[in-house]
This record gives sequence, C-alpha cells and structure tokens, in this order.
Amino acid sequence: MFPANTKILVVDDMKTMRMVMKKTLKALGFENVTEADDGETAWPLIQQSASSGEGFQLILSDWNMPKVQGIELLRRVRSDDKTKNTVFIMVTAESEKGQVKEAAQLGVDQYVIKPFTPDSVKEKLEFVYNKKNAA
Amino acid sequence: MSAIPKLDVDFLKPFIEGTIHTLKIQCSTEVTVAKPYKKEQANPMQIDIAAIIGVTSSAFNGSLALCFPKESFLKVMENMLGEPFTEIDSDVEDGAAELLNIIFGHAKKVLTDQGYSMEKAIPSIISGNNITVQHVSDSPTVIVPFGGQAGDFLVEIAVN
Repeated sequence: MFPANTKILVVDDMKTMRMVMKKTLKALGFENVTEADDGETAWPLIQQSASSGEGFQLILSDWNMPKVQGIELLRRVRSDDKTKNTVFIMVTAESEKGQVKEAAQLGVDQYVIKPFTPDSVKEKLEFVYNKKNAA
Repeated sequence: MSAIPKLDVDFLKPFIEGTIHTLKIQCSTEVTVAKPYKKEQANPMQIDIAAIIGVTSSAFNGSLALCFPKESFLKVMENMLGEPFTEIDSDVEDGAAELLNIIFGHAKKVLTDQGYSMEKAIPSIISGNNITVQHVSDSPTVIVPFGGQAGDFLVEIAVN
C-alpha cells in the first residue's frame, strides 16, 4: 500500500466531494492531501510541486469538471517529463466504454466509480501500488 | 434508435435504485421508497434545496431533480461528510448536485443497456425557503417520494 505520507492531490469542482474524498483518504491513514477545485487550478499546482522536487505522487481527479476536465488534466500530466510518472486515478459517476478507452490510451492508472467507500478506494489504491511495484 | 420512454416502472426503476444505492453508499443513509405519482401541484412538500439537470437523448428530452426539505438535506450531508450542519450554505449546497450526478450515472448505465443513450447538462442548484421546482414546460412529471432515517425527500423525473 502507498505509505501514509504519500503526497496526494484531490481534484473536483464539487466542494462536498473533495471533503468526502479527503475524509476517505484520512480514514485510510493519508494526511498529506491537497485540494484543487478544477483541472485548471490543479495543473499549475502539479507543475509547481514537480519543479520544487517534491511533486505529487498520486492524483485523484474527477472526470466532469468545467474548464479543464479530468481527461485533459491526465493528458497534460502524461505529456510533461516532470509529471508523466505520477499515479493518476480518475473518479467518475459515469464509466462509458468510449471514455474508458480514451483514458486508458492516455495512461490512466485506475478508476474509482462513485458512489465509493473507504474500502473500495483502498482496493483501487492497493491494486495500483502492487501493479507499480511488480513492474 | 429508441422510442420515447413511458414514465412507467421500467423507466423509473434505475433512478429509484440509483437513489437508494447512492444514499446508502455515499451517505451511509438507508432510504425507503413510496409509490410514485404524477405531479399535479407545485410542491407536494416543502422544498428548500433542489438540484436539477437537463437530460437529452436521441429519443427524448427531460429533466431530473433531487429535492430536499432543509432538515432532510442537512442530515444527509451530516451522514456524508461526518459533521453536523445547521444551514444550507456554500459548504454543503453542491452536495445535492453531486448526489444527483451519481444517481444519473447509475441510471444512465442501466438505461443505455436498454437502448436509451442519454447525456446530461451540468446540474444547477436552487435553494431558499419553500422553493418551486420547475421542469421543461408541459412535460409530464413523476414524483418519487423517499423517506427513512434522514427524513423525506423527492426525486422528480420529467420527460418531454
């Protein structure tokens, strides 16, 4: 499992969902969690933290957001040498085949489908962590 | 291509199941459903916050609303966020929209498999003391009443 001090960014335009995800991550032992309310505000945060040498290790991003959507944020993260290896998990209430395929082609690591519980998020995180460490 | 759906049990069921599932999983709130009925009056109960989304498909247009009295909504938010709230304000009001998004996502998955491919607009939120919820003009609207430990609330479904 990811260590408790993993630097995590939660991106969602809905304040209540950011609160729910932070609460969920806290229940799983994670305390180093930063929030962004849209892909547009998230991207400079991601770049700045990467440039400082202490980049985010895990991004949990909503898919449907105004301005910069989750899929575009994923594209930017994977296109930048400093951020391309960051674990990126998409959080969505809709999982259409076309969307899933597009995100998979861009290198998304996993999906969390809403509604979610701490156990379902933990399961996804463990899957990604084990996959990364087996590679 | 699918036909215009009837507002019958088969069409309503995914929204009802989505509401029960969403409230249970995301808000730790068990809810019960009563018999749906056609909307005849402005509000069958006091509504203080509602999220509403427009729904489009090749076969129909419509809208979906999730409507709460203040006390029920604050209890649902308390259950979801783990802290009590006394007012509907910017800290919690988008919770209605997010729950509606999730309910729609559940229903969309089921109805897509039945041939009703649907898209939604970004939800809007209206709040205030005893607000009126309006759908697409002249659309037949069905009210699905819910109850349970958090109190009563409604889902409204209109199909044009």
